[in-house]
Amino acid sequence: MTSTVIVTGAGGVGKTTLSAALGAVICREDRSTLVLTIDPAKRLADALGLEQLGDTPVRIEGTDGMWAAMLDASASWEAIIHRYADPEVGKRLLANRYFQALADRFPAAQSYAAGERMAEYIETKRFDVIVVDTPPSGGGIDFFQAPAMANDLMSGKLLKWLTGSNLPGRGLIYRFTAKPMLRIADAALGGPMLSEVTDFLIDLRTMHDTISVRSRTIEGYLTKATTIVATTADPTPIHETRRFFSELGGSNIAPSAILFNRKLPEAWIDVANSPIRGIDDAVLRAAAKANLRSWASEARRQSDAADELSARYHVPVYPVPWTTPAPQTIDSLQVLVATSGIIDALEL
Amino acid sequence: MADARLIFVSGKGGTGKSAVAAATAIDLARHGKRVLAIDMLGQTGLAAHLRGTKLGYEPTEVRPGLSALTINRSGALDEYLKTQLHIPQGAPTRQISAALAVLADTAPGVREIISIGKPVSEARSGRWDVVVVDSPSLGQFQSYLRAPKIIADLVPTGNVRRLASGLERRLRDEHTTSIRLVATPAELPTLETQEAIEAIQKEHLGPEPMVIFNRVLSPSGMRRTDLEHLGVGPLREAATLQLDLETEQDRWADELDHSATLPYLFGVFTPGEVAEQLADRIDLPS
Repeated sequence: MTSTVIVTGAGGVGKTTLSAALGAVICREDRSTLVLTIDPAKRLADALGLEQLGDTPVRIEGTDGMWAAMLDASASWEAIIHRYADPEVGKRLLANRYFQALADRFPAAQSYAAGERMAEYIETKRFDVIVVDTPPSGGGIDFFQAPAMANDLMSGKLLKWLTGSNLPGRGLIYRFTAKPMLRIADAALGGPMLSEVTDFLIDLRTMHDTISVRSRTIEGYLTKATTIVATTADPTPIHETRRFFSELGGSNIAPSAILFNRKLPEAWIDVANSPIRGIDDAVLRAAAKANLRSWASEARRQSDAADELSARYHVPVYPVPWTTPAPQTIDSLQVLVATSGIIDALEL
Repeated sequence: MADARLIFVSGKGGTGKSAVAAATAIDLARHGKRVLAIDMLGQTGLAAHLRGTKLGYEPTEVRPGLSALTINRSGALDEYLKTQLHIPQGAPTRQISAALAVLADTAPGVREIISIGKPVSEARSGRWDVVVVDSPSLGQFQSYLRAPKIIADLVPTGNVRRLASGLERRLRDEHTTSIRLVATPAELPTLETQEAIEAIQKEHLGPEPMVIFNRVLSPSGMRRTDLEHLGVGPLREAATLQLDLETEQDRWADELDHSATLPYLFGVFTPGEVAEQLADRIDLPS
């Protein structure tokens, strides 16, 4: 049985690096681990020894069974259409310009595709562990809500607004309900957008039954996964982390931990005001002391933020040290999360 | 009455664009301008940086000379329909409104021109000297700038098309519109900002963007060779981090021409404080 670790959080907190680092630590000869990533920075791709990452999993040299694959959102949507739509309808959908725009138009599209991909890997049982790096949309929340949103999108609710009918068959919509109204609206809006959109939505609706079953399956996997929220001390990620807990509070998604990235040592806070001995150069002494004071005030702020998150949401917070530049080797990736204690604590 | 100046503030997520947008608006208001700040995504980022005032679709004065509003979907759709589209008399408004809502959810460009239409119409209202827009992050911001062209490809005639063309002209007019991109001097923000600038220029999506580097550390005055004199422990650890970050930021700052830098604010926590402090330091050609 495949176990799944989901790393979520706001954009810019280092989710992709942390996912790779977790994968690098979790993998073993007898525990093949796939890191399903979104869009790795050049340096991270370099650290993994990859020229280019694609949709097909690649084994990472220098690890005991770590694999990586990148999510190509548009290719995944095509795969979903091929898999779940009737061949004729699928052909029409793929050629439709509204479908082309779907990934942009439906903010959770990439998130849905990521969930679908995750589910496929779980079902093939090819890997023992899958680490999923989530798309940044909606501060990571979209990934968890995307199956329900996809279900809504295909349920025909939009069609119903458009036609005001109870959704009879394709021909009937054209003949009795939609046409006159579409003509008037198209004239006002400068058509023929509406009839094209109607065509598109009718085709999309044919996938509803399968997508609805599929969404529930994906939601099932999401509730069984170990979810880790990544954050830094910056105001936006902290805000997104709070939003994550408050919006998903009532659902079955219970994050197991917070990974607090770019965390400064708490030890700096206490020593910042101690006298300094053994530095003869007065200019250097003053500069080094002023520097430590600045960083200590930052460490204090981070520590307060971490305590508050932990107390408010009753989850352990694991610190990941601030290293710059970002890790450039597999070893340094492993060190990054190995010291945080999260691996043992979550029994990953 | 002259059009207000429109300033779009965008940037990669996590670089502090809402803070910089709020600071820009606060600074302009302090200089006696009548300023409107607009949160274009209907999120809470801008509001938090304006000390948590709850924002609505109508402008609310948040401090002397500075008002703010947030664009929500239904408010924008409603206004677009009522004041912009000029639906002919006797047309079934309720149905057209429903149709427009569906289009906004499915057709490319429609939601974007409806949202970006709001800052433009506020700029034309005569109520403001400057309209500062806390815009979506880089990728989505480009979709907004591209929207008028997409609409032009999609619909050959009609009101939507006419409005889109007007928007396109206004957004490209460098005398009345400016684009400021917030970046931090690190790998991804720098490279993604570069890509965005190239796309904006290549596709003529708007005036040449100005880059603001945020969270820039001031040089500590220490050098690498000093580290060995700092013993072991926090003093040396903090100095090492500072020097590593200085090296990193110099490297990326060299990669991207920028018009201004804003400092890293040590130990400042609330978004409201961040915006006030950045407003003290922001010094930009307006």
